[in-house]
Amino acid sequence: MPRIFFRTSGREVELTGDDAVNLLRVAIRHECGVPWRCASGNCGTDRVLVEEGADSLSRPRKRERERLGDLLGMGYRLACQTYVDGDVTVSWDPDQKSLDEDSRAAERLKRIWLGAADSA
Amino acid sequence: MAEVLSNEQFRTALEDAMQGREAKDASFSRAWATGKLERHHFARWAENHYHYVGPFADYLAYIYANTPDSCTDAKDFLLQNMYEEELSDDRHTDLLIRFAEACGSSRERVEDPRNMCAMTRGLQGWCYATAFREHFAVATAALVVGLESQVPSIYRKQYPVLVDPDGYGFTEDESEFFDLHITSDEVHGERGYQIVLEHADTPDLQQRCIEVVRDGADMRFAYTKALYDTYVRPDLGEWHEEPGVTNPPVEALA
Repeated sequence: MPRIFFRTSGREVELTGDDAVNLLRVAIRHECGVPWRCASGNCGTDRVLVEEGADSLSRPRKRERERLGDLLGMGYRLACQTYVDGDVTVSWDPDQKSLDEDSRAAERLKRIWLGAADSA
Repeated sequence: MAEVLSNEQFRTALEDAMQGREAKDASFSRAWATGKLERHHFARWAENHYHYVGPFADYLAYIYANTPDSCTDAKDFLLQNMYEEELSDDRHTDLLIRFAEACGSSRERVEDPRNMCAMTRGLQGWCYATAFREHFAVATAALVVGLESQVPSIYRKQYPVLVDPDGYGFTEDESEFFDLHITSDEVHGERGYQIVLEHADTPDLQQRCIEVVRDGADMRFAYTKALYDTYVRPDLGEWHEEPGVTNPPVEALA
Protein backbone atom coordinates (compact mmCIF):
# COMPACT_ATOMS: atom_id res chain seq x y z
CA MET A 1 0.00 0.00 0.00
CA PRO A 2 1.25 3.54 -0.74
CA ARG A 3 2.24 5.59 2.28
CA ILE A 4 2.73 9.24 3.12
CA PHE A 5 5.55 10.08 5.50
CA PHE A 6 5.18 13.43 7.27
CA ARG A 7 8.83 13.81 8.25
CA THR A 8 8.50 16.93 10.42
CA SER A 9 6.03 15.27 12.79
CA GLY A 10 7.31 11.74 12.26
CA ARG A 11 3.83 10.49 11.33
CA GLU A 12 3.29 7.90 8.64
CA VAL A 13 -0.06 7.14 7.03
CA GLU A 14 -0.75 4.13 4.86
CA LEU A 15 -3.31 4.74 2.14
CA THR A 16 -6.19 2.37 1.56
CA GLY A 17 -8.52 2.36 -1.42
CA ASP A 18 -7.87 3.04 -5.09
CA ASP A 19 -8.60 6.76 -5.32
CA ALA A 20 -5.97 9.46 -4.96
CA VAL A 21 -6.30 11.30 -1.64
CA ASN A 22 -6.04 14.96 -0.75
CA LEU A 23 -2.79 15.55 1.15
CA LEU A 24 -4.15 18.08 3.64
CA ARG A 25 -7.27 16.01 4.32
CA VAL A 26 -5.07 13.05 5.23
CA ALA A 27 -2.89 15.27 7.41
CA ILE A 28 -5.90 16.65 9.30
CA ARG A 29 -7.63 13.29 9.70
CA HIS A 30 -4.53 11.60 11.08
CA GLU A 31 -3.29 14.61 13.06
CA CYS A 32 0.00 14.86 11.22
CA GLY A 33 0.69 18.46 12.19
CA VAL A 34 0.81 20.20 8.79
CA PRO A 35 0.00 23.87 9.53
CA TRP A 36 -2.96 25.23 7.60
CA ARG A 37 -5.47 28.03 7.71
CA CYS A 38 -7.68 28.20 4.66
CA ALA A 39 -8.71 25.38 2.36
CA SER A 40 -8.67 27.28 -0.91
CA GLY A 41 -5.02 27.51 -1.94
CA ASN A 42 -5.17 31.12 -0.87
CA CYS A 43 -3.02 31.61 2.22
CA GLY A 44 -0.14 29.23 1.49
CA THR A 45 0.19 28.25 5.15
CA ASP A 46 0.10 24.55 4.25
CA ARG A 47 3.08 24.57 1.87
CA VAL A 48 5.20 21.46 2.16
CA LEU A 49 8.56 20.48 0.69
CA VAL A 50 8.28 17.26 -1.27
CA GLU A 51 11.41 15.32 -0.36
CA GLU A 52 10.49 12.12 -2.17
CA GLY A 53 7.72 10.95 -4.46
CA ALA A 54 6.94 14.04 -6.54
CA ASP A 55 5.80 11.73 -9.34
CA SER A 56 3.02 10.42 -7.06
CA LEU A 57 1.39 13.86 -6.84
CA SER A 58 -1.28 15.46 -9.01
CA ARG A 59 -0.14 18.21 -11.34
CA PRO A 60 -0.25 21.73 -9.81
CA ARG A 61 -3.64 23.40 -10.11
CA LYS A 62 -4.23 27.01 -11.17
CA ARG A 63 -4.42 28.40 -7.64
CA GLU A 64 -1.33 26.51 -6.56
CA ARG A 65 0.67 27.79 -9.53
CA GLU A 66 -0.43 31.35 -8.81
CA ARG A 67 0.18 31.14 -5.06
CA LEU A 68 3.51 29.35 -4.98
CA GLY A 69 5.18 30.90 -8.01
CA ASP A 70 8.90 30.14 -7.90
CA LEU A 71 8.51 27.94 -4.81
CA LEU A 72 6.86 25.34 -7.03
CA GLY A 73 10.10 24.84 -8.94
CA MET A 74 11.95 24.50 -5.63
CA GLY A 75 9.88 21.44 -4.73
CA TYR A 76 7.11 23.01 -2.65
CA ARG A 77 3.43 22.11 -2.96
CA LEU A 78 0.27 23.27 -1.22
CA ALA A 79 -1.13 20.33 0.74
CA CYS A 80 -4.73 21.48 0.25
CA GLN A 81 -4.36 21.50 -3.54
CA THR A 82 -2.46 18.24 -3.94
CA TYR A 83 -3.65 14.67 -4.44
CA VAL A 84 -1.46 11.66 -3.69
CA ASP A 85 -1.57 8.18 -5.19
CA GLY A 86 1.82 6.70 -4.21
CA ASP A 87 4.69 6.87 -1.73
CA VAL A 88 5.56 10.43 -0.69
CA THR A 89 7.70 12.12 1.95
CA VAL A 90 7.03 15.74 2.90
CA SER A 91 8.36 18.21 5.47
CA TRP A 92 7.69 21.79 6.52
CA ASP A 93 8.67 24.52 8.95
CA PRO A 94 6.44 23.92 12.01
CA ASP A 95 6.28 27.68 12.68
CA GLN A 96 5.46 28.75 9.14
CA LYS A 97 2.72 31.31 8.55
CA SER A 98 0.84 32.34 5.44
CA LEU A 99 3.02 33.35 2.50
CA ASP A 100 2.41 37.03 3.00
CA GLU A 101 -0.01 39.34 4.68
CA ASP A 102 -0.46 41.36 1.52
CA SER A 103 -2.37 38.57 -0.12
CA ARG A 104 -5.34 39.13 -2.39
CA ALA A 105 -7.58 38.18 0.54
CA ALA A 106 -6.06 40.85 2.77
CA GLU A 107 -6.33 43.44 0.02
CA ARG A 108 -9.95 42.51 -0.62
CA LEU A 109 -10.84 42.81 3.06
CA LYS A 110 -9.15 46.18 3.30
CA ARG A 111 -11.18 47.37 0.31
CA ILE A 112 -14.43 46.09 1.81
CA TRP A 113 -13.97 47.47 5.30
CA LEU A 114 -12.33 50.74 4.38
CA GLY A 115 -14.98 51.24 1.73
CA ALA A 116 -17.70 50.60 4.31
CA ALA A 117 -16.12 53.09 6.70
CA ASP A 118 -15.88 55.72 3.99
CA SER A 119 -19.54 55.44 3.12
CA ALA A 120 -20.82 55.25 6.72
CA MET B 1 -29.65 0.18 26.02
CA ALA B 2 -27.69 1.76 23.18
CA GLU B 3 -24.06 2.60 23.82
CA VAL B 4 -21.92 5.38 22.44
CA LEU B 5 -20.19 4.28 19.24
CA SER B 6 -16.43 4.57 19.06
CA ASN B 7 -15.10 7.24 16.71
CA GLU B 8 -14.23 4.58 14.15
CA GLN B 9 -17.66 2.92 14.35
CA PHE B 10 -19.42 6.27 14.22
CA ARG B 11 -17.43 7.50 11.21
CA THR B 12 -18.12 4.26 9.36
CA ALA B 13 -21.84 4.57 10.14
CA LEU B 14 -21.87 8.15 8.80
CA GLU B 15 -20.10 7.07 5.62
CA ASP B 16 -22.42 4.09 5.19
CA ALA B 17 -25.46 6.37 5.57
CA MET B 18 -24.55 8.00 2.24
CA GLN B 19 -23.95 4.77 0.34
CA GLY B 20 -26.33 4.15 -2.53
CA ARG B 21 -27.69 7.69 -2.48
CA GLU B 22 -24.68 9.78 -3.51
CA ALA B 23 -25.42 12.66 -5.87
CA LYS B 24 -22.51 11.73 -8.14
CA ASP B 25 -24.59 8.75 -9.23
CA ALA B 26 -27.80 10.68 -9.97
CA SER B 27 -28.94 10.96 -13.59
CA PHE B 28 -27.96 14.62 -14.03
CA SER B 29 -24.47 13.95 -12.66
CA ARG B 30 -23.97 10.90 -14.86
CA ALA B 31 -25.21 12.68 -17.98
CA TRP B 32 -22.81 15.53 -17.14
CA ALA B 33 -19.80 13.31 -16.49
CA THR B 34 -20.33 11.31 -19.68
CA GLY B 35 -20.56 14.34 -21.95
CA LYS B 36 -24.28 14.20 -22.75
CA LEU B 37 -25.32 17.70 -21.67
CA GLU B 38 -25.39 20.97 -23.58
CA ARG B 39 -24.61 24.46 -22.33
CA HIS B 40 -28.23 25.39 -21.83
CA HIS B 41 -28.57 22.45 -19.41
CA PHE B 42 -25.64 23.80 -17.40
CA ALA B 43 -27.28 27.21 -17.40
CA ARG B 44 -30.41 25.75 -15.79
CA TRP B 45 -28.23 23.84 -13.32
CA ALA B 46 -26.45 27.06 -12.29
CA GLU B 47 -29.76 28.92 -11.91
CA ASN B 48 -30.86 26.25 -9.45
CA HIS B 49 -27.57 25.58 -7.73
CA TYR B 50 -27.21 29.22 -6.78
CA HIS B 51 -30.28 28.97 -4.56
CA TYR B 52 -28.99 25.87 -2.82
CA VAL B 53 -25.37 26.96 -2.18
CA GLY B 54 -25.86 30.72 -2.23
CA PRO B 55 -27.24 30.79 1.33
CA PHE B 56 -24.61 28.32 2.65
CA ALA B 57 -23.04 30.95 4.88
CA ASP B 58 -26.54 31.74 6.19
CA TYR B 59 -27.10 28.09 7.07
CA LEU B 60 -23.74 27.98 8.83
CA ALA B 61 -24.51 31.18 10.69
CA TYR B 62 -27.57 29.56 12.25
CA ILE B 63 -25.42 26.62 13.34
CA TYR B 64 -22.80 29.03 14.66
CA ALA B 65 -25.38 30.78 16.81
CA ASN B 66 -26.56 27.43 18.20
CA THR B 67 -23.03 26.31 19.10
CA PRO B 68 -22.02 26.89 22.74
CA ASP B 69 -19.12 29.25 23.36
CA SER B 70 -17.24 26.39 25.03
CA CYS B 71 -16.99 24.57 21.68
CA THR B 72 -14.39 26.93 20.29
CA ASP B 73 -13.08 24.51 17.66
CA ALA B 74 -16.52 24.02 16.16
CA LYS B 75 -17.29 27.75 16.17
CA ASP B 76 -13.95 28.56 14.56
CA PHE B 77 -14.51 25.99 11.83
CA LEU B 78 -17.95 27.36 11.03
CA LEU B 79 -16.66 30.93 10.91
CA GLN B 80 -13.73 29.94 8.69
CA ASN B 81 -16.10 28.09 6.37
CA MET B 82 -18.39 31.12 6.12
CA TYR B 83 -15.39 33.38 5.48
CA GLU B 84 -14.16 31.17 2.66
CA GLU B 85 -17.58 31.10 1.04
CA GLU B 86 -17.86 34.85 1.01
CA LEU B 87 -14.67 36.82 1.55
CA SER B 88 -11.37 34.97 1.42
CA ASP B 89 -11.05 35.35 -2.33
CA ASP B 90 -13.61 35.56 -5.12
CA ARG B 91 -17.06 35.11 -3.63
CA HIS B 92 -18.07 31.55 -4.42
CA THR B 93 -21.42 32.58 -5.84
CA ASP B 94 -19.59 34.97 -8.19
CA LEU B 95 -17.62 32.02 -9.53
CA LEU B 96 -20.90 30.18 -10.06
CA ILE B 97 -22.36 33.16 -11.90
CA ARG B 98 -19.22 33.37 -14.05
CA PHE B 99 -19.85 29.77 -15.11
CA ALA B 100 -23.54 30.49 -15.71
CA GLU B 101 -22.66 33.42 -17.96
CA ALA B 102 -20.34 31.18 -19.96
CA CYS B 103 -23.36 28.92 -20.46
CA GLY B 104 -25.53 31.74 -21.80
CA SER B 105 -27.32 32.69 -18.58
CA SER B 106 -26.95 35.99 -16.74
CA ARG B 107 -26.49 37.27 -13.19
CA GLU B 108 -30.10 38.46 -13.20
CA ARG B 109 -31.44 35.07 -14.22
CA VAL B 110 -29.26 33.23 -11.69
CA GLU B 111 -30.23 35.48 -8.81
CA ASP B 112 -33.95 35.37 -9.61
CA PRO B 113 -35.55 32.78 -7.26
CA ARG B 114 -38.39 32.28 -9.74
CA ASN B 115 -35.95 30.30 -11.89
CA MET B 116 -35.44 27.46 -9.45
CA CYS B 117 -37.55 24.32 -9.59
CA ALA B 118 -39.63 22.95 -6.72
CA MET B 119 -37.07 20.41 -5.55
CA THR B 120 -34.40 23.10 -5.26
CA ARG B 121 -36.79 25.13 -3.13
CA GLY B 122 -37.29 22.04 -0.99
CA LEU B 123 -33.56 21.44 -0.55
CA GLN B 124 -32.98 25.06 0.38
CA GLY B 125 -35.80 24.93 2.91
CA TRP B 126 -34.49 21.69 4.42
CA CYS B 127 -31.05 23.27 4.83
CA TYR B 128 -32.49 26.33 6.58
CA ALA B 129 -34.74 24.27 8.85
CA THR B 130 -32.02 21.82 9.82
CA ALA B 131 -29.48 24.54 10.52
CA PHE B 132 -31.96 26.57 12.54
CA ARG B 133 -33.62 23.84 14.58
CA GLU B 134 -31.15 21.01 15.18
CA HIS B 135 -28.38 20.55 17.74
CA PHE B 136 -25.20 22.03 16.25
CA ALA B 137 -23.50 18.63 15.87
CA VAL B 138 -26.56 17.22 14.10
CA ALA B 139 -26.82 20.23 11.81
CA THR B 140 -23.10 19.99 11.03
CA ALA B 141 -23.58 16.32 10.20
CA ALA B 142 -26.44 17.17 7.86
CA LEU B 143 -24.93 20.10 6.00
CA VAL B 144 -21.20 19.50 6.13
CA VAL B 145 -20.95 15.70 6.21
CA GLY B 146 -24.15 14.80 4.35
CA LEU B 147 -23.98 17.55 1.71
CA GLU B 148 -20.65 19.41 1.57
CA SER B 149 -18.38 16.41 1.98
CA GLN B 150 -19.90 14.85 -1.16
CA VAL B 151 -18.74 17.73 -3.34
CA PRO B 152 -15.21 16.49 -4.19
CA SER B 153 -16.53 13.11 -5.32
CA ILE B 154 -19.11 14.82 -7.56
CA TYR B 155 -16.87 17.44 -9.12
CA ARG B 156 -13.90 15.13 -9.54
CA LYS B 157 -16.07 13.28 -12.05
CA GLN B 158 -17.56 16.39 -13.64
CA TYR B 159 -14.59 18.77 -13.90
CA PRO B 160 -12.32 16.88 -16.33
CA VAL B 161 -14.94 16.75 -19.06
CA LEU B 162 -15.81 20.42 -18.49
CA VAL B 163 -12.28 21.60 -19.38
CA ASP B 164 -11.51 18.92 -21.93
CA PRO B 165 -11.32 20.63 -25.37
CA ASP B 166 -12.90 17.49 -26.81
CA GLY B 167 -15.53 17.52 -24.06
CA TYR B 168 -17.51 20.61 -23.09
CA GLY B 169 -14.52 22.89 -23.74
CA PHE B 170 -14.87 25.43 -20.92
CA THR B 171 -11.79 27.41 -19.93
CA GLU B 172 -10.06 26.97 -16.57
CA ASP B 173 -11.28 30.42 -15.61
CA GLU B 174 -14.93 29.76 -16.52
CA SER B 175 -14.96 26.52 -14.53
CA GLU B 176 -13.00 27.69 -11.48
CA PHE B 177 -16.06 27.18 -9.26
CA PHE B 178 -15.65 23.42 -9.62
CA ASP B 179 -11.88 23.17 -9.27
CA LEU B 180 -11.99 25.31 -6.13
CA HIS B 181 -14.60 23.11 -4.47
CA ILE B 182 -12.87 19.85 -5.31
CA THR B 183 -10.10 20.81 -2.93
CA SER B 184 -11.71 23.15 -0.39
CA ASP B 185 -14.57 20.80 0.41
CA GLU B 186 -12.13 17.97 1.07
CA VAL B 187 -10.89 19.98 4.03
CA HIS B 188 -14.31 21.31 5.05
CA GLY B 189 -15.71 17.78 4.93
CA GLU B 190 -12.91 16.36 7.03
CA ARG B 191 -13.23 19.07 9.66
CA GLY B 192 -16.98 18.48 9.65
CA TYR B 193 -16.44 14.82 10.41
CA GLN B 194 -14.11 15.71 13.27
CA ILE B 195 -16.60 18.11 14.84
CA VAL B 196 -19.42 15.60 14.59
CA LEU B 197 -17.26 12.81 16.03
CA GLU B 198 -16.24 14.99 18.95
CA HIS B 199 -19.52 16.69 19.83
CA ALA B 200 -22.16 14.05 19.10
CA ASP B 201 -21.30 12.31 22.34
CA THR B 202 -24.48 10.44 23.29
CA PRO B 203 -26.18 7.47 21.58
CA ASP B 204 -29.19 9.65 20.75
CA LEU B 205 -27.11 12.39 19.17
CA GLN B 206 -25.07 9.87 17.20
CA GLN B 207 -28.18 8.18 15.84
CA ARG B 208 -29.69 11.54 14.96
CA CYS B 209 -26.51 12.45 13.07
CA ILE B 210 -26.61 9.21 11.11
CA GLU B 211 -30.26 9.81 10.22
CA VAL B 212 -29.71 13.38 9.01
CA VAL B 213 -26.68 12.39 6.96
CA ARG B 214 -28.94 9.84 5.26
CA ASP B 215 -31.65 12.50 4.84
CA GLY B 216 -29.15 15.01 3.46
CA ALA B 217 -27.77 12.54 0.95
CA ASP B 218 -31.35 11.69 -0.08
CA MET B 219 -32.16 15.37 -0.49
CA ARG B 220 -29.11 16.06 -2.64
CA PHE B 221 -29.74 12.97 -4.76
CA ALA B 222 -33.38 13.94 -5.27
CA TYR B 223 -32.38 17.53 -6.12
CA THR B 224 -29.86 16.34 -8.70
CA LYS B 225 -32.31 13.85 -10.21
CA ALA B 226 -34.99 16.55 -10.40
CA LEU B 227 -32.65 18.70 -12.49
CA TYR B 228 -32.45 15.91 -15.04
CA ASP B 229 -36.16 15.26 -14.98
CA THR B 230 -37.02 18.95 -15.34
CA TYR B 231 -34.45 20.21 -17.83
CA VAL B 232 -32.78 17.28 -19.58
CA ARG B 233 -35.35 14.54 -19.97
CA PRO B 234 -37.40 16.59 -22.45
CA ASP B 235 -34.29 16.59 -24.70
CA LEU B 236 -32.67 13.22 -24.01
CA GLY B 237 -35.47 11.07 -22.62
CA GLU B 238 -35.16 8.76 -19.61
CA TRP B 239 -31.61 8.31 -18.37
CA HIS B 240 -30.07 4.95 -19.14
CA GLU B 241 -26.56 4.19 -17.96
CA GLU B 242 -24.35 2.89 -20.75
CA PRO B 243 -22.42 -0.17 -19.57
CA GLY B 244 -18.68 0.32 -19.27
CA VAL B 245 -18.72 4.11 -19.63
CA THR B 246 -16.16 5.71 -17.35
CA ASN B 247 -14.49 9.05 -17.10
CA PRO B 248 -11.00 10.01 -15.90
CA PRO B 249 -10.33 11.31 -12.40
CA VAL B 250 -9.58 14.98 -12.16
CA GLU B 251 -5.89 14.33 -11.53
CA ALA B 252 -5.53 13.19 -15.14
CA LEU B 253 -6.29 16.69 -16.37
CA ALA B 254 -5.44 18.90 -13.41
